Amino acid sequence: MKFKILKALDVAGLQVFDPVVRLICGENPPAQLKKILLFIGIPIVAIIASIFAWNYIAPRHTTKAGEVPTPGVVKDAASGIWTFHVRENQKAHDFLLTGEQREQALADVEARMAEIEPLAAAAKERVDTLEAQSKDAIDTEAGPLQEEYKALRTATRDAAKEREAALIAEAEALPTGNAAAREAFLKKVAEHEKLTETEKDELRAFKEHIDAAYAAKFPELEAARAEYNGLEEERQYLSKRLEYLTDGNQSIKITAEEQKLDELQAGFLMAEGGKDTLKAAEKVLSQQASIERIATSEYSRPWTFPDQILRSVWCVFVGFLIGSAIAIPLGVLCGLSRIFMAAITPFIALFKPVSPIVWLPIVFIIVGGFIADPTTAPVHPAFLSSAITVALCSLWPTLVNTALGVASVEKDHINVARVLRLGVFSRLFKIVLPSALPLIFAGLRISLGVGWMVLIAAELLSSSEGIGKFVWDMFNNGSSQTFAQMFVVVFVVGAIGLLLDRIMIVLQRSVSFDGAPTAL
Amino acid sequence: MAFLEMENVSVGFGPEGFRTEVLRDASLKVEKNEFISVIGFSGSGKSTLISLLAGLLTPDSGEIRLHGKKITKPGPHLGIVFQNYSLLPWLTVYGNVELAVKQAFPEHSRAERREHVERYIEMVKLTPAREKKPRELSGGMRQRVSLARTLSMQPEVLLMDEPLSALDALTRADLQDELIRIWEEDKRTVVLITNDVDEAVLLADRIVPLTMGPGATLGEEFAVSLPRPRDRTTLNTNSDFKHLRNEIIHTMTAMNKEAKKLRINQGLSMPDIQPIDYTAA
Repeated sequence: MKFKILKALDVAGLQVFDPVVRLICGENPPAQLKKILLFIGIPIVAIIASIFAWNYIAPRHTTKAGEVPTPGVVKDAASGIWTFHVRENQKAHDFLLTGEQREQALADVEARMAEIEPLAAAAKERVDTLEAQSKDAIDTEAGPLQEEYKALRTATRDAAKEREAALIAEAEALPTGNAAAREAFLKKVAEHEKLTETEKDELRAFKEHIDAAYAAKFPELEAARAEYNGLEEERQYLSKRLEYLTDGNQSIKITAEEQKLDELQAGFLMAEGGKDTLKAAEKVLSQQASIERIATSEYSRPWTFPDQILRSVWCVFVGFLIGSAIAIPLGVLCGLSRIFMAAITPFIALFKPVSPIVWLPIVFIIVGGFIADPTTAPVHPAFLSSAITVALCSLWPTLVNTALGVASVEKDHINVARVLRLGVFSRLFKIVLPSALPLIFAGLRISLGVGWMVLIAAELLSSSEGIGKFVWDMFNNGSSQTFAQMFVVVFVVGAIGLLLDRIMIVLQRSVSFDGAPTAL
Repeated sequence: MAFLEMENVSVGFGPEGFRTEVLRDASLKVEKNEFISVIGFSGSGKSTLISLLAGLLTPDSGEIRLHGKKITKPGPHLGIVFQNYSLLPWLTVYGNVELAVKQAFPEHSRAERREHVERYIEMVKLTPAREKKPRELSGGMRQRVSLARTLSMQPEVLLMDEPLSALDALTRADLQDELIRIWEEDKRTVVLITNDVDEAVLLADRIVPLTMGPGATLGEEFAVSLPRPRDRTTLNTNSDFKHLRNEIIHTMTAMNKEAKKLRINQGLSMPDIQPIDYTAA
């Protein structure tokens, strides 16, 4: 049992937890504890330390999108993203509800609404009083300063004017042609200008002081605001739900339209005169078409972040498949034939360093040439271009590794194949490919990592739905909340990349016959 | 006409002008069901010799014939056991043997093949390790698998290229006994390459020394007239055995010395100068 778990951890590349299992099994506790401290304790300490550092540094830099979010803000943003996702799902669900279920949901929503409205009102009141309080606090703090500032400003202005008048008077008395006197006067003017500049600086510093007083933060007020915002958002969400459970509901809409249809049909039945009958018939038909449209309509759900994550994973998977489907056969041919290798090498060398940012527009245009109308196409051209870009950027490691693996089959194994007189295909499938498999998988693993990195950029550029698009939208939105959501993206992208890599490690381990540990 | 014949075979490697001749005018005759042992120092071209016999290498001149027919390419009838086992690491013991059986007897039915593979795994006493991968086996066990794989093809000639040289002394002795037993059970023509004189004397009917390379050739042979079945424990006190062994060792070391002398003679020629003794002046 113990060894099975240890083996599983090893295969999954999670040797970090090896000492934990051993400790639970009571194997040499001091040594295991030491290992746990080193391989688990220290990373945790490092993570905590970095969170503290982040928490300390972030608020000290203010951007046009607000302050750099602290870990707490990012956490809130993450839960906000999730709430949005859940609520959108609920709305889509509500849209399709019928009969008793709809009524039940309606009752629930109304009950919650009744519960929340007084809360929201109370919160609003609290915010108002706190706002008034804080305004007072600021006024008492900043009011006198403001007065002082005004006085200072007038005083300096007057002083400057006085100096200037004195200088003018002096200048009038200045004899012409006297170089020394003129020189002295020049100095005085320079002094005056310098003094004016210093005074301006003083005033500016004072003003900043006042601004700081105005910008003072009141945690209580902010908490109250956050609470109010949360309640208000929920209220809006509930009112939306109410809409989708009543007038906006599919079944309700259809019932209403069907009623209209009945009326129209009755009208048609009784219609007299050629023109009117024709008109009535046309109305009936258009009403029928409209009911059909509603029946097949869906809730127009916006893309939420979890949807976009799934979309990105799907896209990278498609790109990775395309890339591997090209790279593995080409790599095998390269490995088998020196001529082929010589022919392909320049292409590998030339295209490998090309950035996805260059590939994407080219692929976009080419794909666009095949797909005339994106709305009727089976795959969206932006999605396809992103996937192809991923393929183009990620196929090289697989190609090179496959070629290497195939070319470096052990000579002894080739001799075995010769002695056994294996045919070309048997030799390929029974000797060459199995022997190259660990290297091929190592290449695939690197490819998937590259593909995942490239994908985000490709999506951002092609505005194909996905994580990249999400980042781009958040960037263009430019509020402090969306700024925090971009931080969430960093962690999500990292976590998914890690997960993909782990999956590839497990695959690589399962095909490697030499039992050599895979690099982490 | 002998069963397996090698006639004035020469082979070399390297480009024109820098060519090293490995074998020069080597000739060998092996009768049917005879056990021949070729012994030589490392680097004398033993592996090249076996590759030639297996058809993995074509000679530059001369001919190798199996019952009168020239050997041009390798095949299951020329079974070879490699020095480093050459097992396919992604296949189990069973899989490794099965691959060979499938190629050697394509006409077998599934059940026949299974029975055949299992018989040979049993012959080398590896039935309990059937489903193991080569890396889970010890060196001795791996070489048994390699032996089973080669024997399962029922080759006309069994060629062994230092099959036991990578093993420790105890395992080696064990496998030597095993080889004797298997050969007694299933007589066939064997060419064994080795660098171990005791092993050669213990196993072979005839011992052929390979002279020092480059340009090695096969030297004068020794017939081993010791009665079979041979037993290593009694052999040590056998005077014939001791005599033969000493004779071979003597020949081999003499050959080595001669080769070294030749090599020195081929070396740099010393300038014809004498140190002058100034102290006397």
